[in-house]
Amino acid sequence: MTASLLWKRVWRHKVFYLFMLPGIVWFFIFSYVPLFGIQVAFRDYTFSGGFTGSPWAGLKYFQQFFDFYKSEEIIRNTIIISFLKLAIGFPMPILLAILLNEVGSLKFKKTVQTLSYLPYFVSWIVVVTLMQRLLTPFGGPLNEALSLFGLEPIQFLYNPSWFYQVIVGSDIWKNIGWNSIIYMAAIAGIDQQLYEAAKIDGAGRFRQIWHVTLPGVRNIAIILFILSIGSLMSAGYEQLLLLSGPPTASIGSVLDVHVITSGIGEGRLSYAAAVGLFQSVIGLILILTVNRIARKVSDVSLF
Amino acid sequence: MRKIYVKGASVLLAASLFSGALAGCSNNEEPAETNGEGGTSGQKEVTLKVLHNWNGSTGSEVDMTPVEQVIKEKTGVTVEWEYTTGSEVEKVNAIFATQDLPDIYTGPAWGGELDGIVKAAKEDQLVDFSDKLADYPNLAKSIAKENVPPALYEKAIDAYGGKKYLLLQNQPATDEDGTDWLYGFYVRKDIAEAVGIDPQSVHTKDEFYNFLKKIKDANLQAAGQPVIPLGGFSNGWAVGIANTMFYGGAGYVDKGDGTLENSFFAKGYDDYTLYYRKLLSEGLLDAEAFTQTDPIAKEKITQGRVAVLAAHYPAILDASKEYVKAHPGSDYIPVGPLERAGAEPDRPVDLGIQGNNVTAITKACKDVDAALRLLDFLASDEGFMLVRYGVQGVHWDMVDGKPTAKKEYFDKFAADTSGKLIARKNEGLEIGFNSMTGMDRINSVGGGDIWLDQERIAAMDNARKILRPNGIKVVTAYNPGDVIVKSEQWEMLKPSMDKTGDAWKEAVYAKSDEAALKILNELREQIKKTGYDEAMKFTNDNLKGKEAVTMQMPN
Repeated sequence: MTASLLWKRVWRHKVFYLFMLPGIVWFFIFSYVPLFGIQVAFRDYTFSGGFTGSPWAGLKYFQQFFDFYKSEEIIRNTIIISFLKLAIGFPMPILLAILLNEVGSLKFKKTVQTLSYLPYFVSWIVVVTLMQRLLTPFGGPLNEALSLFGLEPIQFLYNPSWFYQVIVGSDIWKNIGWNSIIYMAAIAGIDQQLYEAAKIDGAGRFRQIWHVTLPGVRNIAIILFILSIGSLMSAGYEQLLLLSGPPTASIGSVLDVHVITSGIGEGRLSYAAAVGLFQSVIGLILILTVNRIARKVSDVSLF
Repeated sequence: MRKIYVKGASVLLAASLFSGALAGCSNNEEPAETNGEGGTSGQKEVTLKVLHNWNGSTGSEVDMTPVEQVIKEKTGVTVEWEYTTGSEVEKVNAIFATQDLPDIYTGPAWGGELDGIVKAAKEDQLVDFSDKLADYPNLAKSIAKENVPPALYEKAIDAYGGKKYLLLQNQPATDEDGTDWLYGFYVRKDIAEAVGIDPQSVHTKDEFYNFLKKIKDANLQAAGQPVIPLGGFSNGWAVGIANTMFYGGAGYVDKGDGTLENSFFAKGYDDYTLYYRKLLSEGLLDAEAFTQTDPIAKEKITQGRVAVLAAHYPAILDASKEYVKAHPGSDYIPVGPLERAGAEPDRPVDLGIQGNNVTAITKACKDVDAALRLLDFLASDEGFMLVRYGVQGVHWDMVDGKPTAKKEYFDKFAADTSGKLIARKNEGLEIGFNSMTGMDRINSVGGGDIWLDQERIAAMDNARKILRPNGIKVVTAYNPGDVIVKSEQWEMLKPSMDKTGDAWKEAVYAKSDEAALKILNELREQIKKTGYDEAMKFTNDNLKGKEAVTMQMPN
């Protein structure tokens, strides 16, 4: 399609393209304009100099990060936590969507859907406060229940032995419903004739899921997986800030929290920008790599 | 036709979404200044936004309190408060990084908060008022060289080539004005009796450990839960204050050869860390002490679940008021006095009472003269009395030359057992002005705290007698921490030094003593790598012949 043809088509459907405008403006303002600030990572940021007037510092702050004695530990923790979230958390919304698809009662289905979406809209600070109340060994309902079975109370929060379970579990609980929406939509788009054909071929419920539903969500799952890989260097700022403390520092200190504490907490804005940029560059490399692999292996890719 | 309607509706919807997105990015703040003539002196009325950067501070529930009304009449200034909830260091860095500046900033005169505001001053983010000081004698007095501790003066007040950006507040005007907050460990009287130990017989580290152990072994219950032997307030405040049993308590110690080193490198610091690790691993220290929020900490106290509390006494008295009222005889009383590392038995308690607050006018201030007028009035004796006691004739009267609380308000304030001081705040007391009243003159100009009830006065006096048997000595020497920041290595060193508190907490939770020491030693290595030795040499050279602070109790 030539450029003039394309523009003609755009003009013909201008009203529909107009709907895209708020989104484009949003991305431009909040995702592209801030790119201008990346230069802070290469400058000695001062309040008076700002983004453009502060003196250049080269790679000084990247060097500082790699010289920091905890940098390896922080990177390792970030990757481990992100990987666990991805490995355990990624299939969960698919599973929920498939289960909900199999539910016969529409009322039950809608109720479960709504209940599973709700936690997504609750902020982490509220979730963590709830967790503190529910999981405390000092009279928390869960530990009270354990004591009914003669079990000793367990310190679930800020305990290295329970840290990963708490982090991954709470992340799944909070996001499973919201993340399942896209899979629900993909399942809804599967041609019903495929199920009927499968039934005629003698497929039971599990066979139908295996041969019809899963291939139906495969492409969208690959796309979302590629995008998730891009977040491997980002383990979640609010959740980790609130759910990691001194007892779990050796396994719970992550890049996102390090960026915030060094930037806002210690006033080292250039250093924080450098660490943040490092995170983003690695994320971009990962996306490009996985995208290429996905294209070769499955013909599905982002671009 | 239908198509046109659909098209029209679509355009309208898209346009409204677009304008909504733009509106979200716009600044709708209305100018606060008005042009009316106000105040008895006919000054222009102006509303100034003041950031009170003290975590957890709160204001009144009314629009204009009687104290604020008087301030408005005297200065023409109405204050619009902003309070900090969260880290004060983060707040000071955030306002300058985002340029979301108040007219006046007021906040802590120490640590990262002070570093942040000094940095802002050096980068022209604050108003230089050096050429106006002559018109504001109360402000000039509050930052006169003789009224500010020497190292702090060099670091924060007179550090800008003759320019003046910061005001210091609450440093004692005379010896009788210093506030001793009586930091210490306090035990519930009924619990001490239940385990049969006289809290005043506890002096050494071992005795303190045995005391906590005995409380644990007694298997006491409160609100259906086991009683926690030792606890504190939010995020570990102030359970770590037993450090003075292991080293001088100041940030720097004498190595024994006349030179100084950071106390993080002292042998006593290892012992201190391992002692707390032992308390934690044996269940004597609340496992949630360093991670709990303020409401959860206070809930434990109001449910009677904490035997020994570490903090300053007023905080403990406030937090336990409700429980004590319902359970007479359960007051918190002092433990000790505990031994102090390196201190002779007859040594007075060394307290750093050097002013706890700095105030600055930011470059965004809409009326610098009005801001200076307000601050000068607050720093005057009249302003000081107004802010501490309320409106004369309304809240208090001068009786025999002494400010005396009116019974009506005394009873009203005493009846408020919530610990939130709402009754006082609604009159304009404790809402933030008290941070900005120049030097502390509570005894030399005022008549002490007239709002304290007899019970509290008796409790504080009793605690003072026990914990300060040799009295107090206000620290006046140089603080090495204020000197090391001038070394050229400081920029590299600071990020590592900032981690000492985190490393200590992490070490306390370590699986073994070896693991705990490894955590400390790894950070020590990092600190050394970032120029510690050179910076300490600079500090020691600069302090040669000067007295440096190596002994200090929390205050």
